[in-house]
Amino acid sequence: MTNSYPHGSPGVPDTGMPTGAPGLMPRRSSYASVVSGAASALSQQYQPSRSGAFANLLNHPDFAYETSPQNPASHSRYDPRNFDMDYNTNGSGRGRSWSGGRGGQLPSWSSAFGSLTNGPGYGEFGGGHLDTFFIPSYLKDSKYVQKLEEAHKAKVLAHKDGPSAHSSQPGSLSTSASSMSLHTKVVPSHRGMTYDSYRMDKKSNSRARMWYLLFRGHNHITQKRRVCSIGIGFSSKSVPLSRLPGWEPESWAYHGDDGNSFCCQTSGKHYGPPFTAGDIIGCGVNFRTGSAFFTKNGDHLGTAFREIRGKLFPSVGMKKTGEHIRSPFVFDIDGMMSYRSLNAQTDKLSKQDEKKQIRMQIEATSTAKLAPKLNETELIQKLVLQFLQHDGYVETARAFAEEVHAEKKALSLDANAIISGFDVKEDEDAGHRQHGDVEKALKHTNAFYPHVLKDNEHVYFRLRCLKFIEMTRQGAELLKHTNSASNGIKKANGHNYYEEYVDHGMELDDQSQNNNNWDKMDTEDSTNNQAEYDRLMGETLLYGRDLAAEFKDDPRREVKKALEDIFALMAYKDPFSSKDVSHLLDPSGRVAVAEELNSAILLSLGKSSSAALEQLYQQTTVLLEDLREGGGPGAFVNIDDYANPDKPLSRF
Amino acid sequence: MVSTYAFNGVQRPASRLTAPQDLFNSFYHNSSWACLRETRRRYQAHEKKPKLTMEVTGSDINALILDYLTTEGYPSAAAKFSKEANLSPRQEEESVKARQQIQHSIHMGSIQDAIEALNDLEPQVLDKNPSLHFALLRLQLVELIRTCNSTPGGDISPALSFATTQLAPRAPTNPEFLEDLERTMALLVFPPDNLEPQLAALLHPDLRRSVGDQVNKAILTSQNQRRDAAIRNLVRLRAWAESTARETKKDLPARLELGLDFDEDRPENGEAMIL
Repeated sequence: MTNSYPHGSPGVPDTGMPTGAPGLMPRRSSYASVVSGAASALSQQYQPSRSGAFANLLNHPDFAYETSPQNPASHSRYDPRNFDMDYNTNGSGRGRSWSGGRGGQLPSWSSAFGSLTNGPGYGEFGGGHLDTFFIPSYLKDSKYVQKLEEAHKAKVLAHKDGPSAHSSQPGSLSTSASSMSLHTKVVPSHRGMTYDSYRMDKKSNSRARMWYLLFRGHNHITQKRRVCSIGIGFSSKSVPLSRLPGWEPESWAYHGDDGNSFCCQTSGKHYGPPFTAGDIIGCGVNFRTGSAFFTKNGDHLGTAFREIRGKLFPSVGMKKTGEHIRSPFVFDIDGMMSYRSLNAQTDKLSKQDEKKQIRMQIEATSTAKLAPKLNETELIQKLVLQFLQHDGYVETARAFAEEVHAEKKALSLDANAIISGFDVKEDEDAGHRQHGDVEKALKHTNAFYPHVLKDNEHVYFRLRCLKFIEMTRQGAELLKHTNSASNGIKKANGHNYYEEYVDHGMELDDQSQNNNNWDKMDTEDSTNNQAEYDRLMGETLLYGRDLAAEFKDDPRREVKKALEDIFALMAYKDPFSSKDVSHLLDPSGRVAVAEELNSAILLSLGKSSSAALEQLYQQTTVLLEDLREGGGPGAFVNIDDYANPDKPLSRF
Repeated sequence: MVSTYAFNGVQRPASRLTAPQDLFNSFYHNSSWACLRETRRRYQAHEKKPKLTMEVTGSDINALILDYLTTEGYPSAAAKFSKEANLSPRQEEESVKARQQIQHSIHMGSIQDAIEALNDLEPQVLDKNPSLHFALLRLQLVELIRTCNSTPGGDISPALSFATTQLAPRAPTNPEFLEDLERTMALLVFPPDNLEPQLAALLHPDLRRSVGDQVNKAILTSQNQRRDAAIRNLVRLRAWAESTARETKKDLPARLELGLDFDEDRPENGEAMIL
């Protein structure tokens, strides 16, 4: 890669010309400056659209691998909008750093960094940070980032397989991520120790509401983690570059040596922890509020400055020989601000806001295709009622059906018309299944669904395991009561229905009859409890042996695992207080089994095992997943934004 | 016997454990306590098990349902559901009820009652929202016209005087108001049983429903609540996603079933068996 600029800058010709000291830098890596990297990033951020965030992720060198082969659509789609005219978007390797298109304009950064030669050290640096993956907090749950991360992992793996590929051909126009890492570095100066600051030559644009840059400090000479005198911040154009930013008027910075924040003066305020080589420092400026914050390794350090004004340039100052920084990640952080707060301010730009447009499009979508005979309200009422009935919310279903009926009646013009209400005839069984009135449901199950357990072996297996767990629980509870020496022994009788459930439902084996006797233990003297406990343990073990014998030849791994899990219970005298196994005794396990049985029964009845609403939800998820491929409109749609009642929607 | 087994910090007399241990050995066919230790160690490695996806989805959907029942004004169902599903109510039952009452009045066609109740509940809503106020008054006019249409030779003077006193002064403030008013007044001119569809729509109960929805949303907005029930967004999102996917020629089955029984009368075999 060659630099289209002359070395250094005409304005400050003699500060640390790298050409003067090639011998001092045996491992000279590229001098593609942070200036060029961040500046191109800024130009991306001129786009106010939230899509910029994704586009940056997509287009940034570090994420580039994700897009290129399988995602050409997204590239072509967003590039033109997100890069300035003078930014070379052809993506051909080094063309990205923006040497090309600026015509005769001289670079305005004015300090010591040198030629943009490529060196053998390149691949190494690039590879070094491949194993980190930064997720901006506001993208944390987004499915998109999950995908990026997966792709990233795949990339890391691929990289491990062939690490030599890049370093062996340093001069090639490879488009790999590593070859595009951006570095800047303090070079040894003729004047000895100096402060050198770098200012990115792209000023903040008023349309960019926010920028956020990440740097990683390095000291390639000492290779040690030690306090480094790096100051990261921003300054106006008039600030001299011979001092660290923050010390001069109109400059603000966070300094690594003491962790202080400097606001236009040489005395700092305590702000955050010191940072040093290897730390990733983020610098964010919110132009709307005029405030700035920093992050260290992903932790938000809080607001550092307020009332920042002026045309600012990201700035970095360094002191020690060998210190250099990389600006590996750059992205638009618009999304950090809530969508709504942006709204007021961006009304003018709203037409460009793709996400908003999509939302409007979705709001205007008719549901007629989903259910041709029903309007939206009726469809939703039906979905809700079906869900309530399906999942056994009997009371609610009844109340809802009544209220819907009243509403329909009110709406009808003819007071005497007979309104066909919803069918409130209840699937009572569902209620029992769900809510633990199992005894009743059990009779039904036993009488009417005898084939269910035969057809659903895994449910059968889980019921049996549950029974074993319940036996253990009984034993443990008994022991607990004995130990606490309380005379008023209360057994958790509430749990016993499961016992019976299991018994009746499955006619398990000879010893289930004994279970009924267990209830009598309530009345027994605590002195007998020890004997009782022993007997119980014996029974449990016998039962467990049967269980193990029945499934010992089962080849499935999950079966084996489950058996080992529950037998581990036996290893503990007091499984409740042993955190290793106590989760097995958690009542939620019963709910899960009950739900599985519920599903199995429903399936055997030819009903779908999940309510229509659940299906609708899942279908939506899958459809959005499909749309996301290729970076289409679905890329910006997160089902959670729509279907989570706790997320505020922007108003239209 | 003197020796003891130390297990998880609990000292157990060996004598008591002899029998279970033998039994255990038989479970594992030539295994021993070592096997259990192994199991235990593995537990320590993965202590936390991932939540069952089913539970997660279930609670998501429960939240969706409660939100819907609250937002769209089904007070008793919302109260019951928050009990049955063990969710904390999103809004006081009383305030859901108050909203529902207003909607109910609108659905019944008693607009005057609705306006009064609304002014009691949220006095500023109508002042701040002239188009909503106009929509209500216009609906009131429609109801008056409906009354006079329903009786042969009905008196149109109440409708006329209402239109002149209430609606006419507001109409000039907004061209849409004027158009709406003119169209509504046309109902008096044409015979009610032979109306063009645009006019017939005014007499359709859907107008009541939509005005009721508008009022509901306005109240929610003034109470700083979310306006739209999330389930509506979900259903629309589903419709949008499907049509967009089809437009972009994604590989989809010809029809995605919702799993709703539109055919209510089909006997459900399970129930038939039980009953």
